[in-house]
Amino acid sequence: MSADREEHEDLGTDLHIYDVSSLTAAAHELKAPLALVRQIALRLEDENVTPAERQRLLSQITLTSERALRLTSDLTKSARLEDALFELEPINPEQICRDIVSELAPLFSAHQRELAVVHRSHPLLLVANRDLLRRIIMNFSDNALHYSQPGTVVHLQIQALKRGGMIRVGVRDYGPALSSDMWRTLRKKLANSPQSIHARPQSSGLGLFIASQFADAMNGRIGATRHRDGATFYVELQASQQLSLL
Amino acid sequence: MSELKTVLLVEDDPWLAELEVGVLQNAGYKVAHSPHAPSAIVAIDEVHPDVIVLDVLLTGSTAFALLHELQSYGDTGAVPIILCTNMAEALSLEDVARYGVKRIVDKTTMHPDDLVAAVRSVFL
Repeated sequence: MSADREEHEDLGTDLHIYDVSSLTAAAHELKAPLALVRQIALRLEDENVTPAERQRLLSQITLTSERALRLTSDLTKSARLEDALFELEPINPEQICRDIVSELAPLFSAHQRELAVVHRSHPLLLVANRDLLRRIIMNFSDNALHYSQPGTVVHLQIQALKRGGMIRVGVRDYGPALSSDMWRTLRKKLANSPQSIHARPQSSGLGLFIASQFADAMNGRIGATRHRDGATFYVELQASQQLSLL
Repeated sequence: MSELKTVLLVEDDPWLAELEVGVLQNAGYKVAHSPHAPSAIVAIDEVHPDVIVLDVLLTGSTAFALLHELQSYGDTGAVPIILCTNMAEALSLEDVARYGVKRIVDKTTMHPDDLVAAVRSVFL
């Protein structure tokens, strides 16, 4: 555990069911990647673009589209949560984290960042739905990509909590410390359903809201820790009883 | 020969920033880029921009926090601002003119030439 002064926040406690504002938030969240793809496409129309730049721009279109599609997929999944039954099973989260690292490596590399799993020699098992847990960690990783500094490594880390047989899967980024004002804004954002666009910095919190819903569906919760040099967003889930057999 | 005008671009998306920097440089401007408000404050002191092209929803804080900061000093308050944003439809120039905003460019519909035209317009 780092000696950083840390501040924790339960992100899921007071989140409410999405209302009409969620449509506005979703529309806005999708505007940025769509606008970026359009600008890249306009750039590609320029006949002076070199083959190497063309390839790089095409790669950016692919990666940006994939990020936007992840959001739309999460939105769809979120809307169907109440109608669906999710199978909860003992899972080794480290394996899911490794799969995510493989999947997101090109995106992180294109932004001069790296994503890595902090390996545990003794695996911890938790009870979760594989798909929902994967979506939560992907969501936090996308978030970390945006807030981390170029050249840094974002760490996926798994730890057992002393209280209540819980396992925490965290995504730790390294970037400028959030000021107290920004931290208060984040807490406020996460304690409510997505706010109007005017009230928010950079993001409506839609991704975190969806992650919170997914955690709820698995009897877990999400939270965040502020460090002096970045932040950790995490999900806490029940440890599997199979732990005792290991 | 007149000195190149300097544009400070405040944009937190690195790929969009790269495109916009290229467009403005090709149009003959000197361009500095800041990814967020705190670095923009530093850049303003360093490069003394002739105009600031500012995204509204930045990582960490909105452009309005930066605009308030700029307006609190005589020299920075005089630098013309162009908002380049995905939420242009929710803003009116009349409402933000008191922050030194001269133009609003809609990122969702703009052509690269529109950005150059907006910058050029503040020097007329």
